[in-house]
Parts: sequence; C-alpha cells; structure tokens
Amino acid sequence: MKIWDELKKRIIQLTVIVAILSCEKEISINLNSIEPLIVIEGNITDTPGPYFVKISRTVNFSSENNFPAVSNALVIISDDRGLKDTLTEMSPGVYKTNEITGVAENRYYLTVNVEGKNFFAISSMPKKVSLDSLTFSPLIFNPTKDLYYTVPLYTDPVQLGNYYRFYLFVNGEKENSYSVFNDNLNNGLVNGRPLFSRDPGIEKGDTVSVEMHCIDKNVYNYFYALTQLSSGRPGGVTPSNPTSNISGDYALGYFSAHTIQRVTQIVK
Amino acid sequence: MLSAYNYKKLFIALLTFFCVNNLGAQPKFTISGTIRDRLTGETMIGVSVKALDSRLINQTTCNEYGFYSLTLPKGDYRIIYSFIGYKSDTLDVKLDSNKKIEREMSENIIELRELVVWAEKRNDNIRRTEIGVERVDIKESAKLPVIFGERDILKTIQLLPGVKSAGEGSSGFYVRGGTEDQNLILLDEASVYNASHLLGFFSTFNSDALKDASIIKGNPPAQYGGRLSSVLDIKMKEGNNHRYSATGGVGLISSRISIEGPIVEDKSSFILSGRRTYADLFLKLTDRFKDNKLYFYDFNAKANVKIDDKNRVFASGYFGRDVLGLGDDFGIDWGNKTGTLRWNSIMGPKLFSNTSLIYSDYNYKISIGGGDSKFNINSEIIDWNIKEEFQYFPDSKNSIRFGLSAIYHKISPSRFEGDGIATREKRSRLSLESAFFVNNNMKISDFLTLDYGIRLSSYTILGGDTYNIYDGGELTGSISLPSGKFGKSYINLEPRIQFSLMLNRNSSIKGGYARNSQNLHLLSNSISTSPTDQWIGNSYNIKPETSDQYSIGYFRNFKEDKYQLSIESYYKELNNQIDYKNGADIGTIADIESELLYGEGRAFGVEFLIKKTTGRLSGWLGYTLSKTERRIEGINNDKWYAAKQDRTHDLTMVAMYQLTKSWSLTGLFVYYTGNAVTFPSGKYTIDNNVIFNYTERNGYRMPSYHRLDIGATYTKQHKGRYESSWNFSLYNAYGRENAYVISFEEDKDDPSKTVAVQTSLFRWIPSFTYNFKF
Repeated sequence: MKIWDELKKRIIQLTVIVAILSCEKEISINLNSIEPLIVIEGNITDTPGPYFVKISRTVNFSSENNFPAVSNALVIISDDRGLKDTLTEMSPGVYKTNEITGVAENRYYLTVNVEGKNFFAISSMPKKVSLDSLTFSPLIFNPTKDLYYTVPLYTDPVQLGNYYRFYLFVNGEKENSYSVFNDNLNNGLVNGRPLFSRDPGIEKGDTVSVEMHCIDKNVYNYFYALTQLSSGRPGGVTPSNPTSNISGDYALGYFSAHTIQRVTQIVK
Repeated sequence: MLSAYNYKKLFIALLTFFCVNNLGAQPKFTISGTIRDRLTGETMIGVSVKALDSRLINQTTCNEYGFYSLTLPKGDYRIIYSFIGYKSDTLDVKLDSNKKIEREMSENIIELRELVVWAEKRNDNIRRTEIGVERVDIKESAKLPVIFGERDILKTIQLLPGVKSAGEGSSGFYVRGGTEDQNLILLDEASVYNASHLLGFFSTFNSDALKDASIIKGNPPAQYGGRLSSVLDIKMKEGNNHRYSATGGVGLISSRISIEGPIVEDKSSFILSGRRTYADLFLKLTDRFKDNKLYFYDFNAKANVKIDDKNRVFASGYFGRDVLGLGDDFGIDWGNKTGTLRWNSIMGPKLFSNTSLIYSDYNYKISIGGGDSKFNINSEIIDWNIKEEFQYFPDSKNSIRFGLSAIYHKISPSRFEGDGIATREKRSRLSLESAFFVNNNMKISDFLTLDYGIRLSSYTILGGDTYNIYDGGELTGSISLPSGKFGKSYINLEPRIQFSLMLNRNSSIKGGYARNSQNLHLLSNSISTSPTDQWIGNSYNIKPETSDQYSIGYFRNFKEDKYQLSIESYYKELNNQIDYKNGADIGTIADIESELLYGEGRAFGVEFLIKKTTGRLSGWLGYTLSKTERRIEGINNDKWYAAKQDRTHDLTMVAMYQLTKSWSLTGLFVYYTGNAVTFPSGKYTIDNNVIFNYTERNGYRMPSYHRLDIGATYTKQHKGRYESSWNFSLYNAYGRENAYVISFEEDKDDPSKTVAVQTSLFRWIPSFTYNFKF
C-alpha cells in the first residue's frame, strides 16, 4: 500500500538524517548464477484486442538488461463460454490474440506449452468501477518547488474485495512505477488515497492521465509483492519472489484479465 | 485447564518438595539484616556474607534488596561482609538467639583505582551456580567509548560473548540466536517493550538513574519468565538517604541531570533524573532539514520510605518519548511509561517478602499527510501486573524463592484512522498471563551447589474481540468472544535446573537446562527494527513460543583470580516461531493473523571469555562461534535457513588502562561475520521494469563487520564533594565503511546495467561529554 511505502521512505530519510555522515558506494558481489527461468506476462482487457502474451527468460545479475525472447510456444487463451484463441507469434517472444474479446465479469484461462513444459493460469476480469475524475493537492514536504500529488476519485463498491492498479502519465509520458490499491481500509467509500509521482514531480499546468485497471485478487497480490520488492533498504522487507498465478511447471510472471479506463486532466 | 483447587494442591506439593528440612539435634539461630552503602544509604546487591567457625565456612549473598539471612547452629562465629570495591567488614558474634545485624560498608578508596566493568567478587564466577549470567558495573562501564558519547548499558552488554548487536549503532541485541523480542527487559520489574530511542541508536536507559543491571542468557531461575532468550534485569537507584547530591553531564547530543537526597534522613529518599537530546537544534540551522523534528527525552523518578525496621515501600517510574517529524506532514512519536509500587517486608529472620504492583505502557502514533488528507496509525500495549514473591532461608544450605504473578494485558493492534478510511470498531485484545514459581538454591556440599525450580505459566484469552481461525492462510472459522468470557488457555510447565561443581578453588564446571515460554510476540517484517513493529499475544492461531536450552561451562581463574577464563556452550531448540509470509500485506490487511507462518528454530554456540580483572591494565577478550537456523512452513521451500541474527564468528576485545591518577584510556575492537541476507540470483523484466529473482532465503552474507573505538577519561581532582570528569571518544577510529545495507538497483550511468550499492553509516564519530557530581 502506498501510505506504507511512503512511510518507509520517510523512515529511511530519518535514518539518513540521524547518520548525516553516511556514505554510499558501488560494490561488487559474487552472486550465484542459475539456470534461466521462463517469464510469462499475459494480459487480456475489456478494450478491443488484440491482446499480448510475452515470454522471456531470466539472465544473471551481472548481465546487461537484455532478456532473451522465448519463441515457438503454443499459447492459448480461452474463456468460460467455450471460446478458444490460439495466439500467433508476432515478433520473437511476443504472442498476439486473433479473435477473442475481453468482457468484464468473465473468467479467462491461459495455457502455454514451450520446450516440453506446461504452464496454466486463470484470471477473472472484475466488474468495472467508474473512475470519475482526478484531484490534485500540493505536496508539503518539498520546500523548493510547488509539487502536487494526484488523487483518483472513484467510489469503491459496497462489496468487499475490489482491487485496482494505477498508471500515471505526466504530459503524455508513462511513469515506470505503478500503484496497487485494495479496499481493506476504505471499503465502499470515495477514494482518498493519493498517487505519488516519481521524479521530477507534477507541477501546475502539467497534463496528467491516470489509467485505472480493475484487477482480481491474485493479480493484486502479485503486484503488491512486486512493489514491496523494490525496497531492499532499512525498513524494507526480506525480499522474495511474488506469488504468481501461473501453475504447472515453475515460471515467473502473471496472467491478468482486467478492465481499463483513463481520465486526463490539467493541473490547475 | 487446571482448576484453582488443583493449582493449590500442586503448589503445596511443590513447596513440600522444595523445603528440605534438616532436623538437627542442635538448636539453630538466624542472623539476618540489610547491608547498605555508608555514603549513599542505598541497599547493596550481592554482598557476600560469610560465617566462620572452627570447622566450616557458611556463605550467603544479599538479595536484590540488600537482605541476607543465615541459619546456623548455636556457637561463636566470625562474620565477614565483603564486596568488590568495598572495605571488608568483620565482626564476631555469639549466636545464642536470633540476631539482626545491619551494616554499612564503605568504598575502598585506593590511590589508583582499578577499572572493573563486571561487578563480582573475585572468585564468585567459579562459585555461583548461575550459568550465562553477567552483572554490569554501571559506574565503571561509563568509561568505555560509545557512539555520540552517550553511555549506554545496552551497548556494554553487547560486548559480551553470546550477546550480539542488532546492527551499527543499535541498542537492540540478540542473545544466543534469539530475536530481539525474545529478550525480557525489566526496569524495576516492569517490562520495557521498546528499549530504544531514535530508531535504535540510543537506549531508553539513562545510566545516571541506574543502580544495577544483570543479564541472564537463557537459563533464568524460576522467578523470571515470559521470554525465550534472555532476561535483562535493570534496577533504578533508590536515592541517597543521607544527603542531597546532583549528578549530570553535558554532551554533544544530549544532556542529563539527576538529583537525589533524603526526604526524612535515614527514613526516606528520592531520585529524579531527566535527559533530553538536542540534535534537532543543529538541524534547525540547516536549510534542508530546518522543519524536521528529531529528539527524545526521558525521566526516571523513584522514592522510598522505610516504614519501620521491617517494612519498606518504593515507588518508581519511567517516562520516555521520541518525537520525529518531517515538516508538518509526517511524524512518528513513540514511548514507554512504566510504574512500580513495591513493598518489601521482612516477615521474620528467615522470610522476606516482596509485593509489587507494576504498570507498563508502550505506544506509537504515526501521522501522515496534512491539509485535506490526514492518516494516523496507532498501536498500544498496556500491562497491569501484580506479583508476590517470598524468599525463605530455612537453613544455611537452602534458599527458596516462591511466588506468583498475574499480568493483565491490553493490546491494541496497529490501526489506521483518517480521511477516506472506513472506520472500524476499535477493539483491544485482553488477556491474562499468570505464573506460579518455586526455586531453590541448595548447597549440597562445599563443592556442589544445585539450583532447581519450576515455573507454571498460563495465558488466557479474555473476551471482547472476535478471533479468526486460519488454516494455511485460509479462513476456516471464527470465534466471537463476548466481554467477560474466558477464551482459550495455554499452559506451560517450565522446569529449570543448574549445578555448579567446584573442581578446586580455582575451577568449576557448571551446567544447566531451562525451558522457557513466550506468550507475546513482536511481528516485524523489516530487515532492521522499526517503531512500527507490533506486539501480538497468543490467539487461536498463535501458540506460545517455547524453547529448551542446554548449557555447559568450564570456569577457571589464574594467578590469584587476576585472570578469569570461561568456556560456555549451549544448544537451544525453539518451537512455534512466527514470521510473515512472503509478500505479506501488513499495511491494510484486516486481520494480521492471516499473514503469519509458523515454524521452528535451533541454535548452537560456544563462548570463550578471558578477563583480566585487576591491575592498571584490565579488560577482556570474548569470542563466540555459533549457528542459528530457522525452518518456517512456507518459507525457503520449508527447508532450514540461516536466521538473520546468525553470526558465525563474533570477537570482542576491550582494554582499559589507568595511565595516571587523572587519566584513563580505553579501547575496544569488535569483529563479526555479516548478517545472513537475501540477495538476488538473476533478473527478469515485467512491465518494462527490471525485477530481481530470489531463490534462497538468507543465502548470502553481508561483508564482515569490524571497528575500533578509543576513549579517554580525565578525572579532575577537586577538594570537597565536587567531582568532575571529561570523557573523549572516537567511534570507528580507522573509518571502516561497514555495510549498513546493500541494495540492488539500476546503474545511474548506464540503465542497461544493474549494480549493488552499499550504504555505510558511521565513520570517525568524535564526541566528548562533561560529567559532574556534587
């Protein structure tokens, strides 16, 4: 959860203030190399297709960030109404659907067959919750510049168990990080939780878009655990791989069926 | 559950078992009394009392309230009272009736004072039955160099073998493979739930207000219980009952002052101590940090009244608070409050009673955001504890302690409040933790002493909340306990036994076994401690943690006790250990219990300690070789892994040298294996972000840690009562960059690469403190 992440960031800041004389340096550590693992990233949404499934491999820590594509996989997405779509490899490791269309409140199945291994995943596309508008409030803890954070306004449904993922676009540029919310604390209420922008921050006059995905519980858990991983710092948790919704042979990654909507506003 | 009647029967049976009555033909009489310091009137703990006749030496020591009792056959005796650093006191007694002998002892003022940090009589280390116990001399330990010049008994005990620092500059500690929450920290009998200030860099204990501190590493006598790894028992000063005096110090980071004196001379006294840091005043001078708050303060107060020769009442309290804030939109403050009301009564020459009513409160509050959206996170734990303990000295061979204690806990788990947050019913969890105990220290012969006891502890959930039951993280049921109803009870029987076998005057072998149980657990998912770690009691899912520790040791003194050597080894098994599951959502989850996993632990170690206790040069060398592992269902593929507090090697060297009458020099060196940590093995991409792949829990090590600190103390010789000293120290004298944290991130210069970045905290931290007393 965002508040918690912010809190951790503050604790780190405080620790650093306590240790004004702290210093950072790059070091080399001999990390184990492992047999490359399969990584699957699959999405289906309620916007018109095609939808994509990406298959790649892990590399060693010391290698460059070039992740080898996995080709020649048999990839099938099906739904609970009996529709079955065999994906076509569009470019190395990227597979696209041909006919299936995502519909909210349907359940989707992914099967991947590659190099003699079988992977399965299920994801339910939740009912769409309407994203009404955005509000912007000034950030107080930056004295040098007037910066803003964004609050996406939507009314969480009365039924407990709604999960959301948010992407922020500032002046058309997509931010690398994302946020995931659940409704454990604000079930049935209008959202008041903020989205914080990473550098350089949102200023007056910027055009801000928020893309909201309604996701299922397993996908939420996966992305929540991923956001936890990004901090290996004091106050951070002992890192571990997120629990994937992919079963069968061992793979990293996820399969998500979700709704998408986007709201754009100018910061005034 | 045992009924009250059964408890009573069991209790009486145990008592009968423990009272070994020697029905000799010769009439016996008792010498008893209280020993005090002549200068301050404070009762003295651990004074050795020997009664010699032509044949035998009978020996006892004063208890924690300065009381002693020796029952001997009619006859003539020479009684010798002795204590390290004090002049021995000798008198002859014709024992033909019960005698009450109260004495005052004077400090030994020698030209060149010897520096002794560990307070014990010269060969007590050989003779005592206790294994894995050390007492800290609070006054002398002040000369050791410490970070920011703030002397701190928690930092001193970390220099012992078997006790490990929780990290750079931290007052947290691990004992024999235990976690931080497995240490019972008592301040005048009250539990201190968070013993750290300023994110762990300072402890809550102001040394000026303290009289005595001892640590028991896992084999506690039966009167102690509730934690698995250790007992750190700290007692506050009572206050000088002869005259007024003030002690204080001014340092770089903080200042402190204590005032003590008689209320009615020789009848009652008080002490008041206060401390505050002022690092935040420096922050105000900087542009970047001027809106930040960062300070702590604490107060200790104690008063006692001697009602008559037999009864004495004490009241003591502690209050401490930390305030941290960044501007107006983020703040954490947390603190402990404790209070103890105690009644000591000498009910007869052989029977001493102590009744205590104890209160303890720990809470934290975090506030985030300002203006339109404001959140708070709160948590609190409150204890009310009543304790009755008797000490019975039937003869010169046995000394028995028995009693009972009941603690009423009220735990409010961490809860969010604020705008845009659905209000949940505020419920606190109530429970009753009680214990019966009986322990006997028995001198079987001049060579063999046995200390054995049993503790029966129980924990009962009291109504007022709903308890969910989980199986593998899935909700399978729930129990709604109405107020006033009793819920599930857990009962543990904890046997404890220790022996000391003197091989000759200079050497002994000691051994022990202890079972401990723990009903309150600190949940922490972070790599380092954070004030937001929360306490939770047993429930329908969480069972009491238990441990069984076996210890054996060899103790030997050389050159007329000038050098003391000890080798101790332990093996410990731990059950019902608790951890968060991977990726646990601790921020928003409705019931934290759904995010918990359970498992077991094991720890093994050998501790070597050689001390030089007398002479101009004194100090010690300690080394521990150990292994600590955990196995948790659901972590690391259910396989054993190294616990984060596992340290293979741990070496400490401390040297103190009295250069001249005024100058003393100190130096300390520590070296230990880095903590076990989880590092990535490989990386992959999700959503165009680089993600690291983790294979094994705690499969890597931080780089090894080492550091040298040096210090010097100049004591000015004044005429009259005024005393003053300057203390200078340099922390991390050769500027080693010890890894505080290692993180893995994108290379800032080349985003196609990832790098490991090490953060180090303190290098070359100089400090000075001016101390005074009048």
